[in-house]
Amino acid sequence: MSTAVLIGLLVAVGLVTFLYRYAMIGLFASRNLPGWLHALCRHIAPASFAALTASALFVHGGEVAIDLAAPKPWAALVAALVAWRTRSVLATIATGMAALYLLKFLL
Amino acid sequence: MSATRSTRRAEFLAGCRDEAPLQLGVVPFGMLYGIGALAAGMPAWLAQLASAVVFAGAAQLVIVQMLTAAAGALPIGLTASLLNLRHVLYSASVADYVRHLPRRWRLLLAYLLTDEAYAVAILRYQTSSTSTADDGATATTAGMTDLRHWYFLGCGLTLWATWQLSTAAGLVFGATIPAEWDIDFAVPLTFIALLTLLLRERAGQAAALVAALGALTFATLPYKLGLVAAILLGLVAGVWAARFARDGK
Repeated sequence: MSTAVLIGLLVAVGLVTFLYRYAMIGLFASRNLPGWLHALCRHIAPASFAALTASALFVHGGEVAIDLAAPKPWAALVAALVAWRTRSVLATIATGMAALYLLKFLL
Repeated sequence: MSATRSTRRAEFLAGCRDEAPLQLGVVPFGMLYGIGALAAGMPAWLAQLASAVVFAGAAQLVIVQMLTAAAGALPIGLTASLLNLRHVLYSASVADYVRHLPRRWRLLLAYLLTDEAYAVAILRYQTSSTSTADDGATATTAGMTDLRHWYFLGCGLTLWATWQLSTAAGLVFGATIPAEWDIDFAVPLTFIALLTLLLRERAGQAAALVAALGALTFATLPYKLGLVAAILLGLVAGVWAARFARDGK
């Protein structure tokens, strides 16, 4: 992606985000949001993170490649176990990276 | 009136103070964003600018991850915009407390309305009806002495400063990390950590599972538009699962 397109993208996302934040404070008189918006917003983060993680681990160059000899899925599995047990973001990143280095060394 | 001015300052500083403990959790995310942005090929100045223009941690990490995956501008824009949609809920939640303020105040507070600033400021609004005048002055009916927006400003500016500085720290630190260290892998690891924190209810689990499977199913779509399709499908699954669980009870 060219720098010009990237600038345009970031400005657009920034503008949309600001409009969200200003919407009910300054744009719309009604303070009543539909119930489905609340329900929807609850699932956006999990769905986004899950899709991006699955893609990072198993999609390479637009192709699905489930490679059991690749270190990253296993490092991610170790990280997921640590995340589940500790509920700590930092511990998850630290052990995930450590597992990746170890597996790259071994495999 | 000097009494008002000192109360303003007291409100502002109270907001800064109450926001401070959250900064411990914000700094690693800001640094991770800076490091990841460099690894994804973003120019440092633009990565720093994005922290001021977008000013939303999760969305910025998602943008970095999608740049790493060589996604097109459209799917990145759609995904980040979807992820930030929750700010409309925050906006609605604080609307009644700030509607009386002049527009310049509302523009400023809207810009500063992040998850962390909202979390602290809304508590102040909901647990008190008057300002923290230390001389025991009570609020009048006109809202003239309602100075809680200064508290909100304190929260927002504290978080803003932390976010900009931790981004800068990440950019400086990230420039020293060799590419072969796979530091960009820290971003999906962060998503894994956040997922385990978020997935407490069945509906959320359904949304995540369907979105993950969708990401593989639609992997061949151009510009990574499959990611957007996967997330939307995950949302449908989540909403449907929530309705199913409610009806089943």
